[in-house]
Amino acid sequence: MDVRTLFSPSRMTFDLQGQTKESVLDELIELLYNDGKLIDKESFKKAVLKREEEFSTGIGMGIAIPHGKDSSVTEPCVTFGLSKKGVDFASMDNQPAYLFFLISVPESADNTHLDLLSFISRKLIHEEVRNKLLSAKSYEDVVSAFEEK
Amino acid sequence: MAKIVAVTSCPTGIAHTYMAAEALEMAAKEMGVDIKVETQGSVGARNEITVEDLRQAQAVILACDTKVNEDRFKGLPIVRASVKDAISNPKSLISEALNMAKPESEKPKKTEQKDYVDQVFEAKKQKSSSLTGAYKHLMTGVSYMIPFVVAGGLLIAISFAFGINAFKEEGSFAAALMDIGSGNAFYLMVPILAGFIAFSIADRPGLVPGMVGGLLANKLGAGFLGGILAGFAAGYLVAWLKKVIKLPKTMEGLMPVLILPVISTFIIGLGMIYVVGKPVAAINTAVSQWLTGMSSSSALVLGIILGLMMAFDMGGPINKAAYTFAVSTLAAGQPSMVMAAVMAAGMTPPLGLALATFMAKDKFTPDEREAGKAAIFLGISFITEGAIPFAAADPFRVIPSIMVGSAVTSALSMIFKCTLAVPHGGVFVLPIPNAVGNLLLYLISIVAGTIVTAFMVSALKTKKEVVAVAQ
Repeated sequence: MDVRTLFSPSRMTFDLQGQTKESVLDELIELLYNDGKLIDKESFKKAVLKREEEFSTGIGMGIAIPHGKDSSVTEPCVTFGLSKKGVDFASMDNQPAYLFFLISVPESADNTHLDLLSFISRKLIHEEVRNKLLSAKSYEDVVSAFEEK
Repeated sequence: MAKIVAVTSCPTGIAHTYMAAEALEMAAKEMGVDIKVETQGSVGARNEITVEDLRQAQAVILACDTKVNEDRFKGLPIVRASVKDAISNPKSLISEALNMAKPESEKPKKTEQKDYVDQVFEAKKQKSSSLTGAYKHLMTGVSYMIPFVVAGGLLIAISFAFGINAFKEEGSFAAALMDIGSGNAFYLMVPILAGFIAFSIADRPGLVPGMVGGLLANKLGAGFLGGILAGFAAGYLVAWLKKVIKLPKTMEGLMPVLILPVISTFIIGLGMIYVVGKPVAAINTAVSQWLTGMSSSSALVLGIILGLMMAFDMGGPINKAAYTFAVSTLAAGQPSMVMAAVMAAGMTPPLGLALATFMAKDKFTPDEREAGKAAIFLGISFITEGAIPFAAADPFRVIPSIMVGSAVTSALSMIFKCTLAVPHGGVFVLPIPNAVGNLLLYLISIVAGTIVTAFMVSALKTKKEVVAVAQ
C-alpha cells in the first residue's frame, strides 16, 4: 500500500468555491460522500467541527488539514481541495489557506492507514512539497508531490 | 553535539502529532542539534525514546496537548509547549531547551541515574510479563467484584451486630442493612464477575450477555462457578460472533448496539436456563437426598463431608445442599451438631485466606491483600462469600485449600460434640447463652481449620511477579 491509495481522482477538486471555513468543509465532505466513503455527512461534519473547536487545523503556510474520526466513515482516506483565492481558515499565522486535506478516519482504523496519514502530515511541513501542491492540476501532480524525496 | 528528546501528542493523534514531530526534526537538523522525537498518536507511540536516549539527553521538549507521563524524564529540564507551537515555531523551542540543558558536570550523579534506568528496565519487564489470556480476563472480573463482596459483606456483618435475628424485624435498621448487603450488593456480585470477564474478552458488547448470564447463574443457584462459566462463554461467544458475522458496511454501526448483544444474550440466556440450570437443580436434589441417607453414619465422616461441601462452591448447589440439610436438623429448636459443624466450616474459608494474606504477602495482589482485611470480618460473621474473590482468581489452588480447612474444622466440631441452636450469625451468636454447646472446643475447631487453610494456600500459591516499581 502506498500514498496513492489514500487519494482518489474522484475526491479531488482544484477549484474550491467556498469563501468560509464551513462552506469549504461542506464542499469537501460532499466529494467524500459522493465517492461512497461516508454514510452520514452531518455526523462526520460534527466530528470535524468539534476538532476545529480545539484549535484550528489551519496550520499556517497556506495549509489546512481538517480531520475527523467518526463511525460514519467507511475507510480511511484523504479528500483534497485547492482554492485559488484562498480561504480564511482561522489559521495559526492568520494567512489564508489554499491547500485543504480533509482526513477521514473510521472509529477503528488499522495502523497501516494511520501510518500513511502521519506520513502525509509530515510531508506537508516541507516547503518544496507545498510548492508542488500549490501548482498541482491533476491527481498525478498531487500524489507525485508526496512520492518524491 | 547537544542531544534533545521530545514527545509530540495531539488529541486526535492523526495529523498534528506528526507535523510537530517533522517540524522539530527539520529545525533541529538546521541548527545542528541531535533530536529524537517520539510521536504518541492514534497508532500508539512511534520512534519511542529508549533508555539509551534518556542517558544521552540534556533536555526534553514536550509538545503535547494531551496528558503524557513525565516520570521517565525525572531530573531533566523540560520545555512544555503546545503542538501548535512546535509546528509554527520549532526553532525557538529548541533554543529554549538548549538554554535550559544542563552541562555535563551538573548531570545527576551516575548512581542516581543508574537507579532510574534500572527502574525503567524493570517497568518494561513488568509490562511484558503482565497477565495474559484467560487468567487476565478472570482477574479483571475478580477485581471488579471485590468491592461488592467487601461492601455487601461488611453491611451484613453490621446488621448481625444488632442481634443475629434483628434483620427479621421489618422496617428496622438491621433489616435495611441486610437488604442492602445481602439482597443487593451480594446479588450483583456474580453478575459483575461474569459481566467483566466477558467485558475483558470482548469489550463492551460482552458486558450484556456476561451480566445477564451471571444473574441467571445466581437465580439458578449455580453460584460463582456458574458465573465464571457464563462470563467466559459470553465473552468468547461475542468475540466469535464479531468474527463470523459479516455485514454490509452501511449496517456495521448496528453490530455493537443491536446485533451482538441481542444474539449473544439470547444464546447465553437459553444456555444457562436449559443447559446449566437443569443439572444444577438435579445436583442439588441428589446431594440433598444423599446427605439425608448419610445422617446415620459416623460423626467424623459426616463432618468431613459437610466441610468439603461447604467450601467447594460457596453459594453453588453443593454448598446450598449442605447448608439446607444442616438447617433442617434444627427442626423443633433442638441444638444440632450438624448445624454447628456447617457454620464453622463456612467461617474458615475467608478466615484462612485472610490469615494467608498476612503470612505470605508476596503471593497476593494488592487488591487481594485489601480484600484479606475485609475477609476477617466476613469470616467471623459466617459470610463464606468473603472467600469468593480469592477462589475465583485462582480456583485450583484456593478451592482445595479451603475445602481441607473446612473439613478439618467441621470434623473437629463433630468429634467435640459442639452444638448450635441457630442457623446463622457467626461470632455474634457465641455470647448468647445456650446458643453454642462446648464453646471453647468450638472455637478451637474454627481456629484449627483456619490455620490449615492458611498454610495450605501459602504453600500452593506461587509468588506474584508483578510488584509495584515506582516507589
